[in-house]
Amino acid sequence: MSLPLLPTTAVGSYPKPASLIEARRKFARKHLSKDELTELERRATREWIQIQEDAGMDLLVDGEQYRGDMVAYFADEMEGFAIAGLVRSYGNRYYPKPVVVGPVGRRHPVTVEWFKYAQSLTSRPVKGMLTGPYTIAEWSFNEHYPTRRELVLELARAIHQEVMDLQHAGAKYIQIDEPAIHTRPEEDFALAVEAMDIVTDGVSAYTVSHICYGDVPKIYPAMLKLAVNQLDLALKNEEFALLETFKKAPFTKDIGLGVVDAHSHRVESVEEIADGIRRTLQVIPAKQIFISPDCGLKTRMTEETVGKLRNMVEATKLVRNELTGTREHGNAATRVR
Amino acid sequence: MITTVIGNYPKIPDMPAPGKWRSAVEKFQKGQLTEAELHQVEDEVTLEAIQDQVDAGVDLITDGHIRWDDGQTYFARRLRGLSINGLQRYFDTNIYFREPVAEGEIAWVEPISVRDFEFARQHSPRPVKPVVTGPFTLAKLGRNTHYPSGREFVLALARALNAELRALQAAGAEIIQVDEPALCQHKQEYPVFAEAMAALVDGVRAKKVLCTYFGDVGGVYPQLLQLPFDVIGLDFVAGYRNWDVIARAPFTKTLMAGFLDARNTRLETVDEIKGAVRRITSIVPPDRLMIAPSAGLEFLPHGVAKKKLERLVEGTRAASQTLKGVRA
Repeated sequence: MSLPLLPTTAVGSYPKPASLIEARRKFARKHLSKDELTELERRATREWIQIQEDAGMDLLVDGEQYRGDMVAYFADEMEGFAIAGLVRSYGNRYYPKPVVVGPVGRRHPVTVEWFKYAQSLTSRPVKGMLTGPYTIAEWSFNEHYPTRRELVLELARAIHQEVMDLQHAGAKYIQIDEPAIHTRPEEDFALAVEAMDIVTDGVSAYTVSHICYGDVPKIYPAMLKLAVNQLDLALKNEEFALLETFKKAPFTKDIGLGVVDAHSHRVESVEEIADGIRRTLQVIPAKQIFISPDCGLKTRMTEETVGKLRNMVEATKLVRNELTGTREHGNAATRVR
Repeated sequence: MITTVIGNYPKIPDMPAPGKWRSAVEKFQKGQLTEAELHQVEDEVTLEAIQDQVDAGVDLITDGHIRWDDGQTYFARRLRGLSINGLQRYFDTNIYFREPVAEGEIAWVEPISVRDFEFARQHSPRPVKPVVTGPFTLAKLGRNTHYPSGREFVLALARALNAELRALQAAGAEIIQVDEPALCQHKQEYPVFAEAMAALVDGVRAKKVLCTYFGDVGGVYPQLLQLPFDVIGLDFVAGYRNWDVIARAPFTKTLMAGFLDARNTRLETVDEIKGAVRRITSIVPPDRLMIAPSAGLEFLPHGVAKKKLERLVEGTRAASQTLKGVRA
C-alpha cells in the first residue's frame, strides 16, 4: 500500500451524526446500553470511512465517533484518573476535565479495537490515533504527582505500550497528538521531547504528531527535535503565515499541511486550497508534504466537513497533475532544445 | 491584610446539572429566549457568584465576570475600530477566546462595564472591584491591521480604555483593577507597556491595581514599582520565581499575592497558605497585603472554586492570628 505524491489525510475527528449525539446523552443517563451505543458508533465509523473513500482520500482516520474529548477519552480508559467536573473551553462549550488522583497507567489497550475495526472496513491505510503524554498531563488537573515531569514521563510509558499494541495490530501510521506542547516552552519543551522519545522508542510504523494553534514560531525549529516522522500543523487559519517561519530554518521532517480551516463554516474553494499547496511548495519539497485539514473537524457540520474534504482532495489532484505535468513539460522542452 | 479574588468565576454548577446559564445560552442561540431574558439569567448567576464570595468571607469581591465571553471580547466588542475575529487559544492553553482586530481608529464610545459594576455593587454587602483587561494584553491577544506600529496600537487602546476607567470612577468605583497577564510573556516591550499604563490611568484618582499572572515579573522589577498604580498583583504559582524577584528590591506598594493555584483542583492546606503568608510578611508588611488566588477561578469546577475561596479566607485568617500572636 504505497501512497501517492501529496497524500491526503485528516487530523482525527469528524462530526457525530445527530442520532449518535442523542444516543450518547441517553447512555450518560443510563437509558441506553453500552452495546447499543457501540453499534451506533460503529455505524457512524462506517459512514465516515465510506465518505473518505468516496472523497478519494489516501490515508484515512476512524473519525473518533466513540470519543467525547481527546483527553477525557484516554483518562476514562486508563488508571489513575477521575473526572473533576465541567470546565469551560469557549462560549457555552464545556468539557469534562480529568484529574490525576493516583498512579497513571493502562488497564488494557485503549484504541486497538477501534483501529482494527476501522481498518477492516477499507483497503486504504487507517491511522492509529493517540493523544500524547504532555497534552494529557497539561489538560488534566494533577492532585497526585508532585511534579509535572513525573506525571508526563509515566504517561509516556503508557502511551508507548499503546503505540506498540497498535503497531502489532497492523497500524503502519500512528499519530500522537501534542497540541499542548507550546504552553510552557521555556520550562517544558525539553520534557515534551523526552516524553516523545519514550513514546516512539523502537517503533517502526510511520509516526505523526499533530500540533495546532498557539504560537508555533515560538517552538520552531526546536519542534523538529520531536521523535516522529511527520509534524501535522494548521497553516490555513493563519493564511499560511507559518511559511515565513519555515523559511528561517529548513523543515527537516515531513509536514501534514493544514489547508482548510477547521473552525470556519466556509468551504474553501478548490482553487484557494490549491493555491495554499502551491505556496507551500516554494518552501517545502513535495515529497515531504501530506495534505490535511488544519485540525479535527468534529465541530463542523457534516456537509461542511464533506465539502472541505472533497475540495481538499480535488485541489491536491490539481497540484499533483501540475507537478507531474511540469516535469513532462520540462522534458519536452529539453528535447526541443 | 485582606482577601480578594482576581476576577472570573465558574458560570455553571457541577455535573450533572447543565446550569441555568448554559441552558439559557443554548435556548438563546435557538431563538427560544430573548436577549433580555438571557441578561436576566446572567444577573441571577452573577448574584450567585457574589453570594459564594460573600459566604466564603472574601473581603473585596468581583461580579465573577459572568457576562464576559472572554477577557478580550467583553471590551473589544464595544470599542469603535475593533472587529471580532475567530477563536484563538488563550496563552496557548485549551481555553479559547475570540481575537479582536483593529480595523480603524480605536475609540471609546460608551461605558462598557459600568452597568455590570453598578449591578454588582447594589447587590453586594462587600466592596466590589471592577476589572478591565489592560491595553497591552488586548493588543498582544489581538491583531492590528490599522496602525503603523504595535506601539501605536497599544497606545490607542490605552487612551480608549482610559475613558472606561474614568466612567467607572464616575460611577463610584473606589478601586479599579487592570489585568495585564501578557506582560509576563513580553517583558522586552516594557517601555511601551509603561507608556501605555501612564496613558491608561491618566486623571484616574481611584485606587488602581495592576494585576499580572501566568508568569513572573523578573526583568521588569523593580521598574514596575514606578508605574502609577497603588497595588501590584503577582502570581506566586505559575510565577513562583516572583519569590526571588521581589527579594531584589524593597516592595514599596501594596502587594496582591496570588497564592492559591487557580489552574489546579488540588486544594491548598491552611498550613501551606499560612506558610506563604508568613514568608511574604517578611518582605511586605501585613497592612500592605492582599491575599488572592493566582488568577481567575472560572476554569475550575464550581465546587472546587468555592472550596478554594473558603480555604483562601481560612488560611489568611489563620495566618493573621499567628501574626498577631507573634506581635503580642
